[in-house]
Amino acid sequence: MKNWPWLILTPAIIFVLIGLFAPFLMTHDPTVQDYKAILSPASWSHWLGTDYLGRDMYSRIIGGARTSLVAMVFVLLAALVIGVVIGSFAGYVGGRTELVLISIIDIALALPSLIIALALIGVFSGASWSWMSDYWKMIIALTLAWWANYARMSRAVVVAELQQPYIEAARVMGASHMWIFTKHILPHVLGLVVVYASADAGALVLAIATLSFLGLGVAPPTPEWGQMLVDGMSYIEEFPSLVIIPGLALTAVVVSFNLLGEAFALQKVPKAVRGGLLRRKKATRAAEETARAATEAKV
Amino acid sequence: MNAPVYAVENLVIDLYTPSVSVRAVDGASFHVSPGETLAIVGESGSGKTVMTLGPLGLMPEGVAVDLRGTARADGRDILTLSPSELSALRGGFFGVIFQDPMSALNPMLKIGPQLASQAQKYAGLSAEAARKEAVSLLARSGIPDPEDRYDRYPHELSGGMLQRAMIALALAARPRVLIADEPTTALDATVQAQILALIRTIQKEDGIAVVLITHDIGAVSVLADRVIVLYAGQIAEEGTAIQVLTAPVHPYTRGLLASVPDFRSESATGTKEIPGIPPNQAQLMPGCRFADRCDMVQATCHSHRPRLQTVGLGDVPHRVACPVVIAAEGIVTHD
Amino acid sequence: MTDVKQADPPAIEAQGLKVHFQTAAGLVRAVDGVDLTIPKGAFHGIVGESGCGKTTLARAIIGLQHATEGTVQINGRDRADWQKQDRKGFARAVQFIFQDPLGSMSRRQTVGQTLEEPLLIHSIGNASERKQRLAELLDLVALPATVLDRIPRSLSGGQRQRVSIARALALNPSLLICDEPLSALDVSVRAQIVNLFARLQAQLGLTIVIVAHDLAIVREVCSEVTVMYLGRVAEQGVTKPVFADPAHPYTQALLSAVPSPDPRIEAPRPRILLAGDPPSPRNPPPGCRFSTRCPVVEPQCRVTEPQLRPVAHSGQAACHLAAAESHAVI
Repeated sequence: MKNWPWLILTPAIIFVLIGLFAPFLMTHDPTVQDYKAILSPASWSHWLGTDYLGRDMYSRIIGGARTSLVAMVFVLLAALVIGVVIGSFAGYVGGRTELVLISIIDIALALPSLIIALALIGVFSGASWSWMSDYWKMIIALTLAWWANYARMSRAVVVAELQQPYIEAARVMGASHMWIFTKHILPHVLGLVVVYASADAGALVLAIATLSFLGLGVAPPTPEWGQMLVDGMSYIEEFPSLVIIPGLALTAVVVSFNLLGEAFALQKVPKAVRGGLLRRKKATRAAEETARAATEAKV
Repeated sequence: MNAPVYAVENLVIDLYTPSVSVRAVDGASFHVSPGETLAIVGESGSGKTVMTLGPLGLMPEGVAVDLRGTARADGRDILTLSPSELSALRGGFFGVIFQDPMSALNPMLKIGPQLASQAQKYAGLSAEAARKEAVSLLARSGIPDPEDRYDRYPHELSGGMLQRAMIALALAARPRVLIADEPTTALDATVQAQILALIRTIQKEDGIAVVLITHDIGAVSVLADRVIVLYAGQIAEEGTAIQVLTAPVHPYTRGLLASVPDFRSESATGTKEIPGIPPNQAQLMPGCRFADRCDMVQATCHSHRPRLQTVGLGDVPHRVACPVVIAAEGIVTHD
Repeated sequence: MTDVKQADPPAIEAQGLKVHFQTAAGLVRAVDGVDLTIPKGAFHGIVGESGCGKTTLARAIIGLQHATEGTVQINGRDRADWQKQDRKGFARAVQFIFQDPLGSMSRRQTVGQTLEEPLLIHSIGNASERKQRLAELLDLVALPATVLDRIPRSLSGGQRQRVSIARALALNPSLLICDEPLSALDVSVRAQIVNLFARLQAQLGLTIVIVAHDLAIVREVCSEVTVMYLGRVAEQGVTKPVFADPAHPYTQALLSAVPSPDPRIEAPRPRILLAGDPPSPRNPPPGCRFSTRCPVVEPQCRVTEPQLRPVAHSGQAACHLAAAESHAVI
């Protein structure tokens, strides 16, 4: 990945920056309705115009970025923690415990995460859950839909690393299980899982928007891109910008995060697989050794 | 002495990877005649494999190669051959055995038919005769019950048996030159002895030329008539096996031999060490490549590349690339 | 096994040690009844061909491999109990050196971090004391201080093995078990590492057990030797006499297979060539395990398994034809 387009990451970076500094960037309160300026076009006071309740579109896009970012970070962190803990535990202890946990993970993986999220939100909509806001229901539902991926990945890394001779070496040195896990295994697990999580960020933003679009996530008047799409739908013929602007924002962020993940994933692939797949003959090996010795000595 | 069947002169091989260029072989010449075994001795990275197999087109994959010099097989210039002509030459004129038998044998095919098709293709035998030839090759290679092994897949054979099967495969085309690249390195001591004995028997019976590429002094001592000692792509010393192994002159050869203990000899000191590690061939200095590890090093060693000087006459001249030892010990040269 | 131990128990005492593992292709009897006593201060070589169980034996001694049967006493204490009760104490007494030095180090750590890890695990010293100790260790294995910040991958094979030796010595063990520490090294570097072991043994008074397949090197440095064949001990004793007058036909063949680097010695030398490869440890032959390849086999060899018995070189050999006065010569 020598010449990979850093530019493509700009939307993701801008998204994070906007989300972080949203309060300073908004020109209006995104929830305040101004009936004198309903559906007004772009102007100096409303940079991107206003929506059907006269709310400032620019501020709502900015606010929506923050809503998505916060929800995304919550879900990713929670899913990562749950996934890494369960997956690593399964991989480390092995045996029957591992089998049971793998089955649970497999079931969770077999169902599309959005379906799980929808089902869970359905469960949460019962009266006994009314104390919880829709926002948190969405976050919990998405977390429960998302952790299995990381659990599976963590387990795979743990199992692979446990077979490495350096783990045995640590054991010979008298290291405890806790030491081996925290000093040797966990860094490997996090190294891989965090990379994949960064690729998932886009999908998660999309899922949050989708749930809100379906009326199951962030409730009005909190600015949220999915919500903005729904609101804009009714006016799509006369004021297409109401749909186009949040749509573009969403697309840019999703594409950008996907590319980020892809770039990471490509770099994670061992060189041997990317480059020369065939190094079978001994004849080739000796010369490679020569070249490698030269490179190593240079390092 | 017989005319050489494989002769390489002033060979220079440069290897280029995207990040480094390496002079793997730097002006080496060698030849081998029918009925003779030439051992090319060197440590990993010394260029011994590229030097021998490079002219045949067996080159490392994934690196760009620049090869200069001349190489003749039976008097014919092989560096000008097309890839397909070279491939035919490798199959027929040259037989190659590797350290890893699985690099030569197809794991998906039974062993016997692989041999037979080789014999059919290069020795021009009929299908029937090729089958017989294959069975007899297996038997000659010391594989018990060859009729049964004929129909086995490579994975059904043990390591020693696979090594034998690969030798049989290399012989199937009735080669004139057998190149053995570390043929015994991966094998156990008792199996190693069997394989070395097998190679020697075949050579005596068929009168073929053998090039043995190895770092194992023991194998050299068993098989070789002549020895070339290669260090960092340059020939340090060459001569008969007796000359080089029992009266070495070059400090590297001396160090290498002193580091190999011999429990049959009371005089051998054993496990004396050469300090340091082989040089980085991407940043070679002018002068002698062994200079940094040499205990006899002088100022000129770092600036002047030593040329091979003849220190012993005879059918096979004993030649050494070290003016320092030659001067210090008053060795008479014959150039 | 509660008898009173003598004042100075041996460094290693294995009794009836068996390591079997179940594989898809059947039960592998990697180690199948080994008795081994190694006194303190010995430099003991375990030799044999691949599949003879020498590596498994070394791993079972230190508990890296679960023993199916038998006991191992280290410094007079039961190995399993010791490890269970005092994992760290055991690690301070016994260390292991792996065949592949690179694989035995984390690829995320520098050489400095690799060497410091045992000290951290055992909470030895503060930062500056540990730094001091690292310097001592590097000194011990003759490595320059500049390697501390490098990653093991960027070192040469010999340097890597030096690092792994330094790490094993960090805890000041009295017993060092090494699994083929030379096989990954170039010939000229091998001698450096062998001499390092010999020097360390003399300097630190270590007991060293080294698994090796290079018999010439074993003869050079090891004070005593165990020859294994197919999971059993074929012969053991003091190295020089065993090599001079091996009592077991397998030892004779194994020694004969090692060529002399001197062609003047090699050319006229009669060689013993064994037929075939060693049998699989999945189904060892009945009777003497070497009987399928032994040139002097007798009917009883195919029926009864020979036990170790005293032989002429004052060591022991497991051969029906060997006795204190005489043995078979092939």
